Amino acid sequence: MIEALQKSGFRNARACHFFDSFLGTTKEAVARKYGVRGANFVAYK
Amino acid sequence: MSIACPVNLDREKLKSEVRATYAKVAENPNGDFHFHRGPEYAARLLGYDLAELRTLPDTATAPFAGVGNPFMMDALPAGGVIVDIGSGAGMDCLLAARRVGTGGAVVGIDMTDAMLARARRSASEAGSNHVRFEKADMTGLPLESNSVDVVISNGVINLAPDKEAVFNELCRVVKPGGRLQFADIIVGTELSEEARNNIDLWTG
Repeated sequence: MIEALQKSGFRNARACHFFDSFLGTTKEAVARKYGVRGANFVAYK
Repeated sequence: MSIACPVNLDREKLKSEVRATYAKVAENPNGDFHFHRGPEYAARLLGYDLAELRTLPDTATAPFAGVGNPFMMDALPAGGVIVDIGSGAGMDCLLAARRVGTGGAVVGIDMTDAMLARARRSASEAGSNHVRFEKADMTGLPLESNSVDVVISNGVINLAPDKEAVFNELCRVVKPGGRLQFADIIVGTELSEEARNNIDLWTG
């Protein structure tokens, strides 16, 4: 994600918060297996 | 950390599946889906203010299916122009509208007719006249170049098979000095080719 943002011309791109968005859903186990979670990103032009 | 990218995925089929899934969410937010929806989820796992969400129309909050909280990073500028990519039923747009005030403007972009209809109803119920919703693909926005202060988005960019095309388009519309503050899905491990080409995993 960060790389794609930088390639498109954004700078100081970073992930800043993480969320266990699939906790308690039927996909929780799959999410844990692959390390799938929500994240906040910020990037500047 | 990476984002899932397809190998041989049928991109039109993916778009169609995404539209179909989120049309179902718009029509029946309490249906059986393998992702969370609604304001209680947004407050419990994503850090939204439940008291504030309860002041918004249920039309906007019930189908909310974001994965993070794009309001956590920085305050939206009063009087600013904000674009929400994949605005769904409009919950984040209505929150953004409050942050920028009536001197600003909020544009929600979505490709699902049922969500757009719901979002327009939500804005009308909330009395947010400085919010509008447009039907568009996120790689071809109906916006002037260098016209947007902040782009927000919540759990949508991961649904696009070509992220670079999306970010190129966002870079076009954002003003110099403007920014993206968005939430999305990340994957902690390298996925198999089979998993990357599985539309069911993408649309979830």
